[in-house]
Amino acid sequence: MTQVYRVESPERLTELLLDRGKNVVAPVAQGAVHRFLKIDSVKQADFGYFQAQMSMKGLFLPATEGILKFTVGEKEPRIEEPDLSFPETVIVGSRPCDAAALPIQDKIFEWDVVDEFYKNRRDKTTVVSIACTYADNNCFCTSMGLAPDSSSGSDLLLVKTDGGFLAEAVTEKGEALAGALGLGPVGEPGDRQAASQKAAELITRRFDSEKIPGWLAANFLDPLWEEMCSKCIGCAACTFVCPTCHCFDIVDEPVGTSGERRKNWDACTLWHFTVHASGHNPRDLQHKRYRQRIMHKFNYYRERFGAFLCTGCGRCIRVCPVSLDLAQVLEEISARAG
Amino acid sequence: MSEELRRIAGELLSEKKVGVVIGYASTVADPNRTTPIFIRRPEDAEKLVWNPLCVNNLTVYLTKKKPEIQALGKPAIVAKGCDTRSILGLIKEFQLKREDVVILGMSCEGVVKDFRSWNGALSNGNIAQKCLYCKVRTPATYDFLVGDELPGVEEDDPFFDVKELESRSVQERKAFWDREFEKCIRCYACRQVCPFCYCDRCIADKTMPRWIESSAHERGNFAWNIIRAMHLAGRCIACDECSRVCPADIPLNLLNREVEKEIKEKFGYVAGMDTETEPPLRTYSEDDDDSWIR
Repeated sequence: MTQVYRVESPERLTELLLDRGKNVVAPVAQGAVHRFLKIDSVKQADFGYFQAQMSMKGLFLPATEGILKFTVGEKEPRIEEPDLSFPETVIVGSRPCDAAALPIQDKIFEWDVVDEFYKNRRDKTTVVSIACTYADNNCFCTSMGLAPDSSSGSDLLLVKTDGGFLAEAVTEKGEALAGALGLGPVGEPGDRQAASQKAAELITRRFDSEKIPGWLAANFLDPLWEEMCSKCIGCAACTFVCPTCHCFDIVDEPVGTSGERRKNWDACTLWHFTVHASGHNPRDLQHKRYRQRIMHKFNYYRERFGAFLCTGCGRCIRVCPVSLDLAQVLEEISARAG
Repeated sequence: MSEELRRIAGELLSEKKVGVVIGYASTVADPNRTTPIFIRRPEDAEKLVWNPLCVNNLTVYLTKKKPEIQALGKPAIVAKGCDTRSILGLIKEFQLKREDVVILGMSCEGVVKDFRSWNGALSNGNIAQKCLYCKVRTPATYDFLVGDELPGVEEDDPFFDVKELESRSVQERKAFWDREFEKCIRCYACRQVCPFCYCDRCIADKTMPRWIESSAHERGNFAWNIIRAMHLAGRCIACDECSRVCPADIPLNLLNREVEKEIKEKFGYVAGMDTETEPPLRTYSEDDDDSWIR
């Protein structure tokens, strides 16, 4: 059974962590948005936030990251291996839809070849999430098999109740953290169920996602793609804010005779993602690129790894320059699948 | 005005004068947003809406970036004054012929700066900055005017928005932009939403050689953001779409506005107000100011 503790507030928990010299990352308000940043004082954090504009994906898979350094022009090219040691870090205040993306991403980054950059960061990081008490009409986590108080991907999950927060130790890492901070265990977390029910009621958008993979597999050429997705203008905003999109490109950046090989975020929604050296592009129009995004998330990934590549966080909908609503496309597919 | 717009759009479609009407519709889930829509059947014209949430500059759909929209036939487009300025710019750059588009010009008192600041009514707190110095509340060109003619905004100092930044030292400005560009994730939403970013192959996508590093690091982000702004010099009509859509919240319009101001002061040129005046960066005159060449 999950061990449950009680903590006054996420702020108090953060203070305890900082007092013990831990490396803490938390949501920080910057202008109109929130970002996950390293903090030195609890005052920098804002746990009353709704959602960070960028997911915490970048903490494990940065937008750009050097993977080796090279020097050419000498007899033999020289390669300098990267530093793969990362600091022990505690992320406090992630949302369940962000945390749930981690086990989904683990499947690919720890699949046939283990991505050491990702894996080492994962191993060194403890995730403390806070269950949501607010949702907007772009949230659709419950249709993705999650909920505003899901514990998937969190090591410790904080749930607000009438008398402070319950802290559920989801993993051994979470257990160890609770122990190290000296949190007091709770025998019978009676108000947990009420909190859970409240959380479930937050999400008003619901559709049956189970029918979606089958429809996608059979309807690659359906007119729906053109009808609903032609307005896509081909940027990568949706994929880059997405907690689960993980495609990257490898580039060499020389300056003179030495330089760095880097791993950069890339996106299927961009024209140059599939353009061939000949100039031919098999995904010549934008709706075909957007279709790929949906196919990958709700058909191919599901088939290969048994999970949707989506947590229903709604970021892609909020950020889309043309208000292309992923959930609406999925609702339509679900309806057509009957 | 929505009713009037729907009537005209419906007639254009039923008389087969156009193949598609590019306009705005409400979104299904969120009443505080609108989304672009391509209307092809007269009976669908009722889906069109007009309100201060009609923020998109739809003229991006008239460019060669969107061949699938051009395949729908001659377009009619719902356009605010600022949007009609980009139509004039596209005509000037030989991207479009005036007779190839039907413009449903909207008389406009302003739009919201972004969806999240909408609270049911337009106010000083949520109006888009571009609306505060707008000279084209009656569109610069149109085939149908929807609504009454409106005078342009009287503003003594139309470049008030860049003044504060201009007053800082070079080092301070550099520090300001370093901090802003640090947030850039290279999603190219700024480029994709821009009607004037229609290059067949953007310099940021060229790899042989690679002119601009694709990495979201200091060098790459600085190169990209500065080149984007410079390539729009004398062309950008300050629709501010780049700033609105930036997921990293970088105030890209400040860069564009500064360049716009320079072009106005040096060459007396304002982009997108007509189709005749030659753009300064496309012409040469012996009278051009060359005092800056040292």
